[in-house]
Amino acid sequence: MRRLFGYEERSAAIFLAPVLAVLMGVAVFPILYSFYLSFFRIKLTRPNRTPFVGLDNYLDLFTNDLFWVSVARTVTFSVVSVAAILAISLLVSLLLNQNFRGRRVLSTILLVPWAIPYVANALMWKWIYDSGYGALNGILYQLDFIDKYMVWLGDQDKTIFLIANAFVWKEVPLATILLLVSLKAIPSDLYQAARVDGAGVWQRFIHVTLPAMKPGFMLVLIYETMMAIRHFDLFFILTEGGPGNASHVLSWHIYVETFRNLSFGSGAAMSYVLALVTFALSYTFIRSLGRKV
Amino acid sequence: MAADKDNGDQEMSGLLKSNFGRRDFLRTSAAAGAVALAAPARIGFAQGGPTINMQTWSAAVDTVQSHVNAFTEATGIPVNYGNAPWAQYRESMVTKFVGGAPLDMMWVSDAWLPEWAEAGWISPVDEFDFLMAYNAEAEDFCTNSMTYNGRQYGLTYYTDFMAFLYDESKIKEAGFDAPPATWEEVVEQSLVMKEKGISDYPMMLAMAQESWLIEFMSALVFSHGGRFVDDDGMAVMQEKDKGAVEALQWVVDAVNTHGIVSPACVETGELSGLKAFASGNHAFAMVAKYRLRMLNDPEQSQIAGNVKQAMMPKGPNGDHNTVGWMRFHGMASQAAQDKARAESTAKLIEWFGGKANGAYTFQKFLFLDIGAGFGVKPLFDDPEIRAAYDAYGNVDMIQAQQALAMKKDVVTPWFGEWNETNGSAWQSAILGNTDAATAVMKSAEFWDELKQDY
Repeated sequence: MRRLFGYEERSAAIFLAPVLAVLMGVAVFPILYSFYLSFFRIKLTRPNRTPFVGLDNYLDLFTNDLFWVSVARTVTFSVVSVAAILAISLLVSLLLNQNFRGRRVLSTILLVPWAIPYVANALMWKWIYDSGYGALNGILYQLDFIDKYMVWLGDQDKTIFLIANAFVWKEVPLATILLLVSLKAIPSDLYQAARVDGAGVWQRFIHVTLPAMKPGFMLVLIYETMMAIRHFDLFFILTEGGPGNASHVLSWHIYVETFRNLSFGSGAAMSYVLALVTFALSYTFIRSLGRKV
Repeated sequence: MAADKDNGDQEMSGLLKSNFGRRDFLRTSAAAGAVALAAPARIGFAQGGPTINMQTWSAAVDTVQSHVNAFTEATGIPVNYGNAPWAQYRESMVTKFVGGAPLDMMWVSDAWLPEWAEAGWISPVDEFDFLMAYNAEAEDFCTNSMTYNGRQYGLTYYTDFMAFLYDESKIKEAGFDAPPATWEEVVEQSLVMKEKGISDYPMMLAMAQESWLIEFMSALVFSHGGRFVDDDGMAVMQEKDKGAVEALQWVVDAVNTHGIVSPACVETGELSGLKAFASGNHAFAMVAKYRLRMLNDPEQSQIAGNVKQAMMPKGPNGDHNTVGWMRFHGMASQAAQDKARAESTAKLIEWFGGKANGAYTFQKFLFLDIGAGFGVKPLFDDPEIRAAYDAYGNVDMIQAQQALAMKKDVVTPWFGEWNETNGSAWQSAILGNTDAATAVMKSAEFWDELKQDY
């Protein structure tokens, strides 16, 4: 007991108390309170009718067609985005790991998309994709790839992929840096030993580079999956879930339910489902890939 | 000066040391605190009555502030004026209501009236006879838009309607003497324009999922002689001839069969559509009437001088009806609970929504400042307003169309929720995922479900 509550422990507790109090107020309490709210049918515009509904807000999700549409859209968006981010950032990190003239300039340019705020990025892509005056149509038209301006975001078959493209453009720099760190950490004597054993470029890549990059891959995979599943900004600014329900992802579904319909109970329940899915996926990745690293 | 200061410091120091004990200090501090606490209350009940808390969205802020100052000067009633961006206004107001923030008078959109009234956040003003007297000079749809369950909740702040505009030069180039009067003629004239290469998509419709969408849809439905719901609030949108199917079918055909409306309409918001029309890409457009001023301004529009207004085209069963919308000055329930506060708030509502110094000063200010429409008929006869309108529009045409404007029939406490689904259903039909009748049926079923739930 004396060791537990000695002078140092007490001092530490006193000094940490203000920070802990703030964290309790701005993080822990809202998390617990929103969980509590998820058991009530709370609609701000009906302040006098907030019945306790137990698990109904959670169970209702499974019978809601639009919820399943949003799950399907989220899965498509996440798989396409994360796969593209992994592939492109691998190629770019391999390129930047080479010694060539202009490497530093290229590295700096690469950081530009990362430095642009999400909302600015979304607005930029809105202009690029615009079917009337967008840069994409302008370039394709001038290069004679199209003979008339195309509909981009308004074409439901393209919408989710175009938004994924804007997301990938923003996320690739960070993923590249993370992979580059893994690449730089590979000891050069491993390559020398492989060369001595007669391994060619491809064999060195497969047997030395890729295995050594697994921690980096795992980090990028987990981080980008979490970012993709929860992503909201691009959907809000580019399409507002449309056209039809073509970009109605989970985060958009939660936003509409919570802040447009002002249904805080069901919105909170959806948020917990999303958090749980994100956590389960991350845990699965860590368990399955972590063992092999 | 320095010597004076030194002497003063010494005196104060001596006073504290000799006569001013700890108890005196505490007593004086407490008294000072009490005075400080009482001060706002005293200010709050100055000369003309309690301070009125007025909340608006951030439009014409300087004009509003100046009109507030004039009110305080005229009545002695102090006003605490605040504003928030339109995009977050509803959410911020709901949060204020729920949180019990001090509110007496606020701007209200007709779309939120049932929701706010049902929640008990706003109070009817029809017990103030001097406010009700203004109904005699207000447009009917304005008064209707401020009325819920038989009670009136405010006086007009601004009103407008969806207008059918055309580029006169393109009509002439296509060989027509007059703009289309029916939706069928819109198709006919558009097809000729397409054939002559005047415009790829002559008709501009903005059908993106945004707050404007319901106004566009309502104008299409009303001009086709349809309704979304009947007077009892029962869904009739799914019924052929008197519902919304015909209007949606017209849009679906315009996009997919005739190709006179761009398939990109589902991603085109009101502002993007307006820019495209102002750039000369289209011959016809459905936009808010107040956009007429901008469209005929050479600094903002490439087709300035050519933009004219026609009566809203009509469908086979319809007339030239359109949709009108309202923003009004309302009274918070917490103001209504206190007689003095309610009376002061009603005076402020009159100052803004009725007459100030014997004239509709604020509505005229707003019109001259930002071109905002007004809901009181006498202003159409105001020479200054007629002159301003003549610079870019036809005031008689505007007045005639405004007289045929109808209140949105879907404004209910569940409007917001239904609107999301209805917008998606219309877009799905335009995209060819479903037919018009099925899309509208889905929307009607959701309406019934929500109606039952509420």
